[in-house]
Amino acid sequence: MTEQTAAPSKQKQTWSRYSFPESLWSFGTLLAVIVFLGYSLHFLNIDVLMMLGALGKLGGVVADRFYPPDLAYVTDPGYLASILDTLQMSFLGGILGVFLAIPLAWFSAWNVSPHRKIFFPIGRLGVISCRAIHETIWTILFVSVLGFGMLAGVSALTMFCIGFAGKLFADEIEAVDMGPVEAMRAAGANSFQVFIFAVVPQVRVAFTGIAIYTWDVAFRAATVVGFFGGGGMGWYLKRNVQQLENLRVGAIILSIIAMVLIAEFISGWLRSAVNKAK
Amino acid sequence: MSVTDINTSDGLSLQTELRRKKQMKQLLIWGLFLLFAGWCVHGTIIADTDWSRIGGRNGVLASVGRYITIDWGLLPELIIPTIETFMMASVGTVLGCFFSLPVAWLGAANVTPSKAILYPLGRFLMVLSRSVHEIVWALIFVSAVGLGALPGILAIAMRSVGFISKITAEAIENIDAKPVEAIRATGGNEFQVMYYGILPQIYPVVLATVIFEWDINIRRSAVMGLVGAGGLGLLFFRQMNSFNYGGVTMVILAILLLIVLGEVISHYLRKAVI
Repeated sequence: MTEQTAAPSKQKQTWSRYSFPESLWSFGTLLAVIVFLGYSLHFLNIDVLMMLGALGKLGGVVADRFYPPDLAYVTDPGYLASILDTLQMSFLGGILGVFLAIPLAWFSAWNVSPHRKIFFPIGRLGVISCRAIHETIWTILFVSVLGFGMLAGVSALTMFCIGFAGKLFADEIEAVDMGPVEAMRAAGANSFQVFIFAVVPQVRVAFTGIAIYTWDVAFRAATVVGFFGGGGMGWYLKRNVQQLENLRVGAIILSIIAMVLIAEFISGWLRSAVNKAK
Repeated sequence: MSVTDINTSDGLSLQTELRRKKQMKQLLIWGLFLLFAGWCVHGTIIADTDWSRIGGRNGVLASVGRYITIDWGLLPELIIPTIETFMMASVGTVLGCFFSLPVAWLGAANVTPSKAILYPLGRFLMVLSRSVHEIVWALIFVSAVGLGALPGILAIAMRSVGFISKITAEAIENIDAKPVEAIRATGGNEFQVMYYGILPQIYPVVLATVIFEWDINIRRSAVMGLVGAGGLGLLFFRQMNSFNYGGVTMVILAILLLIVLGEVISHYLRKAVI
């Protein structure tokens, strides 16, 4: 993608985006990426034509198996209750995750971390390991410890939210104005006081916005934690996928899309309200 | 607040009234928030959880303790799935880029071929891609193209389309319109406008986004195996089903290592691009 401007023979102009050593570098990188991708296709044993034709096939499969969706199934009271369960799980996971993410973000922000040799690595490691492990793996682990049900789902979503919000919070803290922080430090405040009185007032509004966004993303994740035993809509999805009730699966996927859209709309509205109220 | 500099008694009472109103509003918001949270706690932790089955603190500690042993014997079996996971993420991201190009073209207000029909379609495709979870995409593709790495790649590609095309469309909407007009004026067709007028302007933003998405896709591709696509997820699933908890820990360590590697690479690549 980077190379069109570096081919002066095609475009009749003397100017070129990259001069000699740079152009060699970018050509080399592109070549390496292409070779790697080609080798990957070979290694994974993938039929390229099938890959490119998959979208057409997807259309056929959807029309064949998932259409018409069994909408009566998703208006069933049991299923509607599972939507409420999903909402509860995402909300609670979001709250717990955000509250646990705040101290971790404080530890892992380089500029105001209480101790750069001890707390900084703890905070970074905590946030990175929560982020690195996908929410479905967290769900499986918690189900194996806590048993099936919404408690496992809430715990998994909490871990997911710590990872998600922790990184955004830490980025926000690292971008604060250091003036108040320096002033507090000069007056002899300890790092907790610095955080509470110099950092929190600056990031309060941004944190609220991030917390709402975290809930939105957690809701998206909550729709599938049930697939691995966490409770909520995902459990219905799993049951119907395993029974090959494709029309019901189609309806459930449609309902998931609808709920995610509503959640996204609410979160967008709340975030703009928060930004206005500041 | 603008009323703080008013010193008359009227101004002071106005100020206290405003403050009280604001406090009431905040109290109301917090009250509703706590009420909702209480409802959620009741629904999930109290009503739905069978505490006797968990078996108290000792039961939980015993279940956690099973994971602490690490099964190093799994190491030789881990190498190929780790490489597969890495490759699935990379191929999926590139395929996602190819899918996002037309979507971004349709969904960018200034270059879309038809504002009435195709622009909403492009926006809808972006939202659709993001609102369906990668596990659900993988389920759909497993039922469409069968087991293996291919459905994983396709699921990752579909999930990436939303984010990449949204950022790309925003970048296209913010470009300098003059080169585009110049190419149109010399008789360039739509494709030439895109290739020579738009792409050179947006590629740093798009490339940085793609690298960011690739980083996320590594962790996505590590779970594709759970629903029938290959990679580390499949190994994780097998270890879990054979109750080899040390093996599960080992697979998680491999995932962590792969993701830290991906994060380091993406950090340096993004620095090089911007």
